[in-house]
Amino acid sequence: MRKLILQYKQAWASLKKKPGFVLTVLMTMGITLGALLCVVTLNYLLLVEPLPYPEQERLFVAEHGLIGAKKETKAVAYTYPGLVHLYKSKQAFEQASMMMYGQDVIVSHSSQPLVNIAYVTPDLHQILASPMALGRMFEASEALDTNNPVAMLSYNTWMQEYNGSADILEKKISLSGVSYHIVGVLAEHFVEPELEIIGRKTQVWLPWDYNQAGKWQRQAFDNINGSLKFIGLLKQEVSQSQAQQLLTPLVNDRWQAGLPGDDDFFKGWTINMHVRSVKDRILGESESIAVMLLAGVVGLVLIACANISNLFMARTAEKQRQMAIQAAIGATKKHLFKAMFAETSLLMFMSIILALVLAQFGFYIMQQYLGAILPRVNELSLTPITFASAVLVTIIFALFFAKLSTRMINYRALNTTLQSSGKGSGLQVSKKTRQVLIASQVALATVLVFANFSLLKDAVKTINAPIGFATDNISTLILNFSSSDIPSQEEAKPIMAEIMEKLEALPQVESLAQGNSPLDGFWVRALTSVANNEKYTPFFKSVDHHYFNMIEQPILQGDNFTMAQRQDGANVMIVNQAFAKQLKADGDVLGMQISTGRPDSFKIIGIVKDITIPGDSPTDRDSSALGSGVPRVYVPNGLGGQSFMLKLKSGQTVSRKQLGTLLAEVDSRYSVFSFNAASAILTQTLFAEITTAVTTTVLASLVFLLAGIGLYGILSYGTQLRRFEIGARMAIGATRKHLITMIIGDNTKAVLAGFIGSIVLFALAYISLSEYIQPFLTWQVLPMVVATLVLIILVTLFACYWPLRQYINKAAIYSLRGSD
Amino acid sequence: MTIPIIKVQQLDKVFSTDDMLTHALQGIDLEIQPGEYLSISGPSGCGKSTLLSIMGLLDFPTTGKLFFEGEDISQLSLEQAAAIRNKKIGFIFQQFNLIDELSIFENVALPLRYAMEPVSDKKIKERVDYCLDIVGMTSKAKRRPTQLSGGQQQCIAIARALVAEPSILLVDEPTGNLDSKSSDQIMATLQTLNDQGTTLCIVTHDIRYAEMAKRKVYLLDGQVLGQTQF
Amino acid sequence: MTDIKIEMNNIAKIFETDDVETHALKDVDIVIRAGEYVSIAGPSGCGKSTLLSLLGLLDMPSSGSYIIEGVDVSNLSLDEAAGIRNEKIGFVFQSFNLIDELSVFDNVALPLQYKKELPTDDFIKTRVEACLKMVEMSHRAGHKPNQLSGGQQQRIAIARALVADPAILLVDEPTGNLDSKSGDTVMAVLAELNKNGTTICMVTHDTRYADMANIQLKLLDGQIVKDELLKVAV
Repeated sequence: MRKLILQYKQAWASLKKKPGFVLTVLMTMGITLGALLCVVTLNYLLLVEPLPYPEQERLFVAEHGLIGAKKETKAVAYTYPGLVHLYKSKQAFEQASMMMYGQDVIVSHSSQPLVNIAYVTPDLHQILASPMALGRMFEASEALDTNNPVAMLSYNTWMQEYNGSADILEKKISLSGVSYHIVGVLAEHFVEPELEIIGRKTQVWLPWDYNQAGKWQRQAFDNINGSLKFIGLLKQEVSQSQAQQLLTPLVNDRWQAGLPGDDDFFKGWTINMHVRSVKDRILGESESIAVMLLAGVVGLVLIACANISNLFMARTAEKQRQMAIQAAIGATKKHLFKAMFAETSLLMFMSIILALVLAQFGFYIMQQYLGAILPRVNELSLTPITFASAVLVTIIFALFFAKLSTRMINYRALNTTLQSSGKGSGLQVSKKTRQVLIASQVALATVLVFANFSLLKDAVKTINAPIGFATDNISTLILNFSSSDIPSQEEAKPIMAEIMEKLEALPQVESLAQGNSPLDGFWVRALTSVANNEKYTPFFKSVDHHYFNMIEQPILQGDNFTMAQRQDGANVMIVNQAFAKQLKADGDVLGMQISTGRPDSFKIIGIVKDITIPGDSPTDRDSSALGSGVPRVYVPNGLGGQSFMLKLKSGQTVSRKQLGTLLAEVDSRYSVFSFNAASAILTQTLFAEITTAVTTTVLASLVFLLAGIGLYGILSYGTQLRRFEIGARMAIGATRKHLITMIIGDNTKAVLAGFIGSIVLFALAYISLSEYIQPFLTWQVLPMVVATLVLIILVTLFACYWPLRQYINKAAIYSLRGSD
Repeated sequence: MTIPIIKVQQLDKVFSTDDMLTHALQGIDLEIQPGEYLSISGPSGCGKSTLLSIMGLLDFPTTGKLFFEGEDISQLSLEQAAAIRNKKIGFIFQQFNLIDELSIFENVALPLRYAMEPVSDKKIKERVDYCLDIVGMTSKAKRRPTQLSGGQQQCIAIARALVAEPSILLVDEPTGNLDSKSSDQIMATLQTLNDQGTTLCIVTHDIRYAEMAKRKVYLLDGQVLGQTQF
Repeated sequence: MTDIKIEMNNIAKIFETDDVETHALKDVDIVIRAGEYVSIAGPSGCGKSTLLSLLGLLDMPSSGSYIIEGVDVSNLSLDEAAGIRNEKIGFVFQSFNLIDELSVFDNVALPLQYKKELPTDDFIKTRVEACLKMVEMSHRAGHKPNQLSGGQQQRIAIARALVADPAILLVDEPTGNLDSKSGDTVMAVLAELNKNGTTICMVTHDTRYADMANIQLKLLDGQIVKDELLKVAV
């Protein structure tokens, strides 16, 4: 023990002399191991860690798949009556819950916040055994068809909206004209299963009966809604596939029977029930993201490890003499190994401490920025798994570096080192090994930098891609109606007209349109061409006659809608180029008749230019128009709609509160549901791309930094070994220029080999992954190739010169004698 | 009186480390005339190698003046010093200092490759062949240094020192790594060169070899203790 | 005989590089008894450094036998050799070879650290202080080597060589890097140690110092030369 303490004391003293070396190791290993711990924890959480619910292994969701006539999946979403039928049947599941997601405004709250709602049956929180901070969860009193207006709040809502007030259970909140008694607040550590959108947190839980489905929707078997979910505990004796076999006919038969007889759009379609574990559902595509991240970071750690190996080898070369002295006075290999291990383990210990701090920071970053991409990131924290990996990694790397360093010591040549009074280089890595190291370092760096450049360019391209319409100064205002007796279109018309008049009168407002912006979403509608009976499912939106002007989307052929058409509810339609092409190869579709399944068909009166909304892709995979833009159709909207686009004068703003006051003046039942700038929505839509851009930029810089350090390490080590040769050359009259040219020349071969190596790597990637890579291979990659090469060459030149300067800028005798 | 090739006036060299100041050389005055054979001897640590390094422009004096062929070269840039070393000075070291990666021919040719005015390949070949002939090593031109014995390597080092036709050969303990027979041969070669007019300055602690020089300088603790002229 | 510290019989050492074979040592026989002060002299390249590395087990002979205090050490593994070096041999080098990062005290204590059983702190302290006193450097225990003059560093190196109480002190050109005055002081320290019973074997090419030994060996081209020849050569 005393010996151990002594060794560590000496190791510490020795390291203190080399702050640059220590700092480089700390930064390199700290950062990369931090990233490693981060993604290891993430991978463990996502792939291994059970969900935080009792009996989570029996927790399954049932998904409702609509299968087309050609056995292709058309959509995965429930019909409202279909879901209720499944729930009531009580088949396969021991206990299950219906869920519907939505948003609403808490009108009773002074700031009238828009909150995320989940409408659920009491089963949900019973199955999840949700922990409560206050009060109770939903019970039998809130079961299906009880119409008991009570609510549960999330912990954060309680804290943020109600300042955690102690008497919250005595309060009521009102949404859409219903006043709910608050019966419970979920605990802070309750983890919601994010079944709809990753990162969406429910703020208020309401009983199923109060969900937002309209009367007709509750009966309609020809209407699907993506926010309807079914989750439950599978019966002990029922397997996943048994459940599927049991549920599919049950739901399908009811659906077939429930479809309206006069609609043959769904002819030949069937329902297929898909039962999958909640864990699998939540994980979704994230598994591959997590594994890719892990692979990337492991690559990073390998580069870092190669770099640090170089540094340790150089350090051993430096310490050769010291170790020779120790060996002369009786230190065995084991002694030297232990001393070296004390040093490496100390360094690794410090690195891992830094790594843990950085990992903690990384979790925070992930929660902030990856919450919308990866599930469960809120559960990330330094777990025993993190610490176990940290300990393991520390020991492995400390042993590895110590072994590597001590392996280099040439015991048989120790006396040479001692007698030549520091002259000569008893131990060295052969020239060939050094060249291979340089080449591999260059190859790896080139590939990684290039790959990162490509990813970055892709993301930037999406971010900067022209969307084809204006968003500047345009905001969408959506109204909230806080009463249960919703007015009819006819009743709403005069109110909306008055509201529009007042809005237009606002000094900040430049122009106004009824209906929301393209970024607020499109519906998907089943349409049939009357001429040939072909079926289509384009994106669908009802807009007013100002819409195209306001967002500056050009009408290429035909006419815009008119006020008269809106008043009359005329059956006219404007299509975009992509849909026109889909309908008719030459795109000449003016006057064509399109059926929505109702008796009167729509006539196409205009064609508008395509727009690009990030993330939108055609719904119909069989479409011949695939790759040529998303098909969209527009019809005139009615005058009673409760959403508006406001174009403000440049530099002007309108507050939510201001609008609320305005609305209240017209009709106190109306308030602001949401008021969002189109540009903000666009940024939100581009979130994934922006995250990718930032991540790849950071990763590319990191890779570049590491590769730089690595190249520098190995080149400077090579130069150090040639010190006496450099001295000899100086003695016979070599000038600085001669020596710099020589070192660069000698390393050029290795760097070239590295470039060739990277080309080979790319060729291999091309052969095995050609379908993914082919689209990238255009002349456009040339500038990136050049940029990568230039960067690598600059680093190499620097790494050639910098270590050399200490020899060539001093009197020759210093290099020749080996004394400083 | 002819202009001395090297003239040293009141030369001091002080090394400093942390707390210690070491006076390696103190107040040295020395002249080397063309055609001379000078030996500098003294016990280990007396400063003789430091003196040789300064005379060879491998190191710079702390104070004092240094003249080369009448020119004051006490204040030279690194580049200027390199040029003079290349053209005017031939070095022979105790450890030979050949470059293992190069052939014998290329080792000998190296000073010409570093010459200010480019030397044609034909001229290089002539010079290298001639110098290898002087030391009797023509047959080894294609070998590598590691394939030769110590004595042979030192012969190659002499050929390399001669190739650029320098004004003076500076020789540092040439027999330090050699057995007595090889040492005698090397010393005989140097003697022959001097007989033919090459100026030599040799540093050695081997009294036998120091005696072979025409003029002898003894150093002790960084100071000239005495001079003998034959 | 029990007082024989070192016995070398018929030792030879051959170095090989690429095509060349160098016979560094041939037919060397040496016997050193307890309390003797042996000097090995000879010109550069005569093989005396090679002989010293063989004596110090830093290198192994190509042939011949080598016995230290009755133990045959002609053919040891690297670790065994390290163990013997630690226990039986104290080294003093021309270039001092102190470790700059460690204090004088820690430098002197170093050999004790490599003992099979780590001695107690008290023992280490007593032993190091005793050795520093022998070379009159007690007042420098807290300094770093580079804060000392060459002569002082060499005295520290001698203290380090003594600390593990070795069978023999192997001294390689101890005055090589010193001015004449420091050289004299170091030699005086060695003479004093020998008077108090330390067995010393020293390699030097300085005849003045070689004469201080009570047995003088002369090496030429790898062989021990008879005394008569010796006088002619020097």
